[in-house]
Amino acid sequence: MSLPDFQLLRPRTVAEATELLAKHAANAQIVAGGTDLIPSLRQRLFAPRFLIDLRAIVDLRGIRARDGGLDIGALTTLTTIERSPEIAQKYPVLHQAAKTVASPLLRNMGTIGGNICLDTRCLWYNQSLQWRQSCGFCIKKDGDLCHVAPGGSKCWAAFSGDTPPALLCLEAEIEIAGPQGTRRVPLSEFYTNVGDARMKLQNNELLTRVLLPVRTAGWSGVYRKLRIRGSIDYPLAGIAVVLKRSNRHVADARVAITAVNPAPLLVKGVARALAGREVNEEIALQVGELAARTAKPLTTSALTPEYRREMIRVFTKRAVLEAAAIDQSLPRAQPRGPSTVD
Amino acid sequence: MSEFSTIGRPIAFVDAAEKTTGHGKYTDDLSMPGMLIGKVLHSPHPHARIKSIDTSRARALPGVVAVVTGQDAPTTYGILPIGHDEHALALDKVRYVGDNVACVAAVDEATAEKALALIDVEYELLPAWFDPEQSMRAENDFVHENRPRNIEKEYHHTFGDPDKGFAEADYVAEARYIANEVTHAAMEPHSTLAAFELDPHTGKPGRLTVWSSTQVPYYLQHKLSLVLDIPMSRIRVIKPLVGGGFGGKSEVIPLEITAAIAARAAHAPVKITYTREEVFWAHRGRPRTIIDLKTGAKNDGRIVAAAARVIQDGGGYCSYGPVTILYSGALLGALYDIPNVRYDGYRVLTNKPACGAMRGHGTVNVRFAFESQLDEIAAALKLDPAEVRCRNLLKPPCVTVNGLRVLSYGLPECIDKVVAASDWTEKRARPVQASEKLDLKPVSEGHGFSRAEEVSHLCHSERASAREEPAGRNPAADGRRRGVGIACSHYVSGAANSIIRSDMPHSTVNLKVDRDGGVVAYTGAAEIGQGSDTMTAQIVAEVLGCDLARVKVVAADTDLTPIDLGSYSSRVTFMNGNASLRAAEDVKKKIASAAARRLDCAVADVVFRGDKVFRQGAENVARAPSPAVDRPPGAADDVARSSSSAVKAQGRVEGQILRGSVQQKRRNEDEGSRDWMSFEEAVVAAIDFSGALTGTGSYAPPAEARGGQFKGAGVGPSPAYSYSAQVAEVSVDEETGEVTVHKIWAAHDCGRALNPVAVEGQVIGSVWMGLGQALEEEMIWKDGLLMNPGLLEYRSPSAAESPEIECMIVESIDPEGPFGAKEAGEGSLAATIPAISNAIYDAVGVRLREVPFTPERVLAALRAKKGEKKLNMTRDVDPTAPATFPEHGGALCFKGKGPARHPLDVARADVARAPSPAEGDD
Ligand SMILES: Cc1cc2nc3c(=O)[nH]c(=O)nc-3n(C[C@H](O)[C@H](O)[C@H](O)COP(=O)(O)OP(=O)(O)OC[C@H]3O[C@@H](n4cnc5c(N)ncnc54)[C@H](O)[C@@H]3O)c2cc1C
Repeated sequence: MSLPDFQLLRPRTVAEATELLAKHAANAQIVAGGTDLIPSLRQRLFAPRFLIDLRAIVDLRGIRARDGGLDIGALTTLTTIERSPEIAQKYPVLHQAAKTVASPLLRNMGTIGGNICLDTRCLWYNQSLQWRQSCGFCIKKDGDLCHVAPGGSKCWAAFSGDTPPALLCLEAEIEIAGPQGTRRVPLSEFYTNVGDARMKLQNNELLTRVLLPVRTAGWSGVYRKLRIRGSIDYPLAGIAVVLKRSNRHVADARVAITAVNPAPLLVKGVARALAGREVNEEIALQVGELAARTAKPLTTSALTPEYRREMIRVFTKRAVLEAAAIDQSLPRAQPRGPSTVD
Repeated sequence: MSEFSTIGRPIAFVDAAEKTTGHGKYTDDLSMPGMLIGKVLHSPHPHARIKSIDTSRARALPGVVAVVTGQDAPTTYGILPIGHDEHALALDKVRYVGDNVACVAAVDEATAEKALALIDVEYELLPAWFDPEQSMRAENDFVHENRPRNIEKEYHHTFGDPDKGFAEADYVAEARYIANEVTHAAMEPHSTLAAFELDPHTGKPGRLTVWSSTQVPYYLQHKLSLVLDIPMSRIRVIKPLVGGGFGGKSEVIPLEITAAIAARAAHAPVKITYTREEVFWAHRGRPRTIIDLKTGAKNDGRIVAAAARVIQDGGGYCSYGPVTILYSGALLGALYDIPNVRYDGYRVLTNKPACGAMRGHGTVNVRFAFESQLDEIAAALKLDPAEVRCRNLLKPPCVTVNGLRVLSYGLPECIDKVVAASDWTEKRARPVQASEKLDLKPVSEGHGFSRAEEVSHLCHSERASAREEPAGRNPAADGRRRGVGIACSHYVSGAANSIIRSDMPHSTVNLKVDRDGGVVAYTGAAEIGQGSDTMTAQIVAEVLGCDLARVKVVAADTDLTPIDLGSYSSRVTFMNGNASLRAAEDVKKKIASAAARRLDCAVADVVFRGDKVFRQGAENVARAPSPAVDRPPGAADDVARSSSSAVKAQGRVEGQILRGSVQQKRRNEDEGSRDWMSFEEAVVAAIDFSGALTGTGSYAPPAEARGGQFKGAGVGPSPAYSYSAQVAEVSVDEETGEVTVHKIWAAHDCGRALNPVAVEGQVIGSVWMGLGQALEEEMIWKDGLLMNPGLLEYRSPSAAESPEIECMIVESIDPEGPFGAKEAGEGSLAATIPAISNAIYDAVGVRLREVPFTPERVLAALRAKKGEKKLNMTRDVDPTAPATFPEHGGALCFKGKGPARHPLDVARADVARAPSPAEGDD
């Protein structure tokens, strides 16, 4: 379907952007790389009167060092992140996760801000207007019933971004700009786990920066993604693991999962299960169980929920073993690509 | 030096530059002054009666020029004469979600879309049919009133004495196989532009021109004439570049007629381009197929009988259905020598988009079942699967039990090649327990092919064949088990009987030669990316011994080109190639007789070679000093040569008008020689003699190749068959069920490879498409709603998981093919799926009987085999023994509330009974 009519607004500064947002609030929508939003506009999931295109705000691009950690501007493309040697070195789990998103072309356009704010996905929702009409719409858009959890009044559309579980493991914070200035929130407090109101962001706010703390710099990490097709496939289940070791024992650890709940979620009890221990198959499997218990997949995507939950278990086990096997004393191989800044 | 100069070499397609630079024009690239955009309103219901349609609000919208409905063209049509059951726009009933209801022609797309929302349609819901086995038991609410029990067609064939065969068998295997529904996913979505000229006498819409992405321009012309009630001679169909068809454009798709109806109503050109979702609704893909297969064999692996009951879930319209179900039977028993065959085929109507022809039409799913079962038989009899295939070869020339004539048969060599190249014997070998030793019988004699011993040595090797339990090979370092599997397939080189019965030639080609030696070939063949234009140019250049660059191909324009049935059933190289060859021979004869006079020799002694015409015997002498002729073969060279000689040919244009100057030039160059003349000179000589220089050639399959007399015997016969053998090497992750295909060795007998790089491209493409069906692709339904109508959720493989494919060409040189060529575009596909499933069995010992082998199905099967904790991943469907579908297709069962349905819907009862979701903690 053709794009709906809208007016494109192009602020040049964050202040201009927040002003425009404040002015148009409910009638406006933010577009960054557009790789998620534009297809949805064509499917009439949205029909905003104004599109606020952030791409002219130069300030929001690029990766900067800060207090031993890194700041990533919300408009930084996934390609830039994938190719950043600093990220590959300090936060390998993010490097790995960014690399699995969509395809090289989409990563050239898609931004980290868009990946964090990605709309939740469901086979009953990401369809054309005519298709959704055929099934009487759904609770997330234009309708009042849920097709995947019948009888329920909650929307179960799955959050399917690849980088947020990595960012959760790294204890990232995000900076949000609004009419009252900026505020910082831990990413773990940003999501609601409700499919049709996925994040705690007012319609007059925007995400400006992702802040990676020094604390988790250098932790070994692994991202694993379940997909059917080798490329251009959203995660059907995704898991990120980070580990900090002292000698052969685990000092600290995090696991986060994606695409199996309406939000990317940190798995509770992982640090407790791993801290002070030497990782082996059995312990890794225990962590896998914890992750599987956190996962509540429904028929929002391809592959049966049962299988996806099972894969959360298996992938977590494997990722924990793999992360534990990475020798943190060795410098990591340099990723290709020269630039750190867009 | 090869006996040929143009064929047999890898040559870049004549349209390659256009396509690779983006210069080429596909239908949607076209536009005309005053052109309107058409948008179609589709049914939201799977089965409903249309009580009323009110278009007045839509018509009132500014920018809307016309709104048309079924009433504007009420005549039914269909690709088969026995299946005229479609309306371009529904008349009284809609039969699937997506069925066509009305069309708006407006000044732009957005306006047309807005108008669609203003069309008021009142529907009365009817119970709908989604599962073919339920549909076959229907007693009322038929999809089509004149098709009781929703059976479009059924056929029951018996050849030989199957009961006796099974009684004599030492071992009988029996199982149900299910192949889920797949679609073509061609890159270019369907697009049609229709424009009327005004009739000079009446001022009303007169002649119609239609540009369309079609594989069958002449069938389109025919159906347009039928539905619009305009004589064919007043309709011109032009096929611009087509971005892939694979069968999805091999019949008339509703938009092609709708665009013309709308253009007539709007008095303006109308273009309709389908969205990807609409392409999925137009569909015509490979039907979901249930195959109950039984095969009996002797202890030495010889097959004595096969029986199949096949049910195809055909969707809401007939389409090619009867042909598909007949191919499934006709090709079942014709790859090998099977003396007794029983076939029961049912083509069933359901309330889903119509299935039709798709690459490997009719044979793919049944071949998957058969080759899998053959593997099971080999395992049960402790024989090498490659050897079992060798023990069942045909002995051509022969006629198969169901009346198919086989002259050339490269299957033995195909098997041989893939076995050797893949290290089959070594890969299957592994330590055997002393107690497992077997008493093996020697190979039966008389395969009649030279390399029988090479493969049969496998049979004497205990290491290779005595494999009780396949899953014993140690996992590799990555924790995955590897395995290899083999399978074979075959396909027709065109149907010997056309779908519209007539004695007309299936292909005709006209040639015209200009005075400067430029050759124009007028062919009705539809280039859809397979290389048919290049094939025509090559054959013409070969016969005339001229440079390829001289040949221009004008194709698929019904005003200019003679009739050709179209690009389907892999008929073009064989049939249009033969017509091209005959047309070129016709012209060559005329040039030869003029040249003979000049060269002072008999017509039979004139030789065409290297862009020159020689007196016989002189070509070798004359060739040496001429740098233009003496060039090394090779792909890059050939491409370079075509363009450089194009320049050269241009430089000689003077000769076109002033033939004297050419002769003058020649005389200076080559004083005194009367042994040869340039191609232009010869052409000019002929034109001087006869005026215009033109030729015609046509092809109709010979009567001997047209098959038997029984009902349904018309489908299956072909003048020649291609053969394929493939070995797949896979590894399986036993914890996740993920299958990785590491490599596929594919040998294909295409008769003669006219353009080897094109043959390789077709074989690799076929394997790749088979890979998609084997592992990833599947249309998933919920109550008639297609859950994945887009290329994101309908997953064709990407480059990332595509394995290395080693293609080996086998040239059996068919006696009737053009230069011995047969088909190359479809036959390889069917072998890929069973090669992969057999390799999975070899790796981990599970026999998957439901395609695609998605990770959840593989894991469910592995768990069941190991007796591990059962995870109900595939919702009560055991992929090793599929029975039916818990919902309406696919392993993915969508519980919960689907679209609104009629209360009597059988499907609703199903939902009520469905097991509760396995959600929650464990
Ligand atoms: C074929 C295909 C495959 C894909 N596969 C994957 C995949 O495998 N994994 C994956 O993670 N993603 C995938 N995507 C989605 C997408 O490409 C990425 O998630 C990308 O990072 C989104 O970024 P964007 O800048 O393009 O977002 P946009 O489309 O511009 O925006 C996405 C959403 O975020 C909001 N938004 C964007 N920036 C801001 C901001 N600064 N402040 C507030 N709100 C903001 C927008 O309003 C919108 O709602 C795929 C997309 C396509 C089309």
